[in-house]
Amino acid sequence: MKESFPEILKGYFKQFLPLIVTLFLVLLSFVQIHFSFFYVFKPDFALMCLYFWTLYRSDLFGILSILFLGLVVDSLSGVPFGMNILVFIFAYLLTLAYGSYIHTKSFLMSWIAFAFISFLCFLFKWLLFSVYYKVFLNFGHVFVSCLATLLLYPLVACLNVYVQTCFLGDDEVIDEQR
Amino acid sequence: MKRRRVLFIRLSQFRLFLRKLFVALVLISAFGLVVLSKADNAHLNKTEDIVSKVLNPVIRVIQLPSDGVFYVCEKIRDVARVYADNQVLKAALAESDYLKTNLQALKIENELLSEMLSYTPPAGAEFVTAKVIASEGDGFSHSLIVYVPSKKNIRKGQVVLYKEGVVGRVDSVHGVYVRVMLISDINSKIPVIIERTRNKGILSGNNTSELHLLLTSPGADIRKGDKVVTSGVGGIFPSGLVMGYVSDVSENAISVEPLNSLDKVEYVKIVDYIISHEQTEENTEK
Repeated sequence: MKESFPEILKGYFKQFLPLIVTLFLVLLSFVQIHFSFFYVFKPDFALMCLYFWTLYRSDLFGILSILFLGLVVDSLSGVPFGMNILVFIFAYLLTLAYGSYIHTKSFLMSWIAFAFISFLCFLFKWLLFSVYYKVFLNFGHVFVSCLATLLLYPLVACLNVYVQTCFLGDDEVIDEQR
Repeated sequence: MKRRRVLFIRLSQFRLFLRKLFVALVLISAFGLVVLSKADNAHLNKTEDIVSKVLNPVIRVIQLPSDGVFYVCEKIRDVARVYADNQVLKAALAESDYLKTNLQALKIENELLSEMLSYTPPAGAEFVTAKVIASEGDGFSHSLIVYVPSKKNIRKGQVVLYKEGVVGRVDSVHGVYVRVMLISDINSKIPVIIERTRNKGILSGNNTSELHLLLTSPGADIRKGDKVVTSGVGGIFPSGLVMGYVSDVSENAISVEPLNSLDKVEYVKIVDYIISHEQTEENTEK
């Protein structure tokens, strides 16, 4: 049976929804907030969303979404092009590698796994930037960002679960990547 | 039982192989982008320009509710402050009456002294005020994105001020959106001078809230609280602009605290120092 135009649009919307939610949170993180607290504790929303969607809906959040997300983050933050793409691919591969094990476990286990993966990603990012600039960057600030990312993960996961339940709940998950 | 030989791989395995190949290709492309970025590639700058032009208006829209909440909070705080301020103002008024008389005398004295010293005012400089719409301040880069409503001649390298102190310089211009590299960014290196001792040095950012003073002479007498100003060497920054104050002096490092708290910058002035610009043009022509 041929699909009608609104159904086709709805299909595309569902396909891009994880990327749209991630982009919205990334843009939100660039908004100027007038509190010093948020200036120091800058969480990485892209990493949180990447982990969540790769773990639970890798059929909707593939390598192209990661490439696009990396380009946007690199452009907005003014860091050298490709740096965040490399970090995101690193996170993507790590999540895929451990995904089959974490996927069926409780949220607490998923959070612990995120702590492990996000720490490795921040460490990788710190190393990449240090090599690029030929100077060791302050790891304290990086660690604080990692901690903020970890603490805010449940909140972002709740939002993503809400999106998944309300808009993507009736979809059949096709996961061939693991 | 004899096993049957499989001549071809299954379709699902082939798809998986293709996916892995694609991930590897993207990974290689990302490395390529990093290398091109190091070489300051024009196409990458254009891509950055396009993405900035598309997404910065969206950030601006998202910013509006945040500004609204901040405005309401500030108003509530203002009301609470009014009573305390009133008491302080009454005391200040009495003091200002006394000072006013003294000021008149000093003003006349100053005019006379200025005439005697043939005082030359600073060179005329054009500036434009811009609103900060986004900021980046983690361990990897420190920058601002500002919105310049009117068409002005904004160029890379122009000085960005907040109140009396320097906060950074223009890094790139994308239409009405301008990226400012903050003085705390690791790429920021500004020639400075200690106002009290006239010792020269380089003020470098390190992606934290404090700045480091480098390349000072070993025996330099630098103390906590010393004022650090631009030296004017290099021609990008005019001399005498306040950068901050020395906050810590140790054997290995001299820390400088910026004059302005960089996370609280809401509006900035992008200054075009005409003399500095003309000098640069003359040097280019030579």
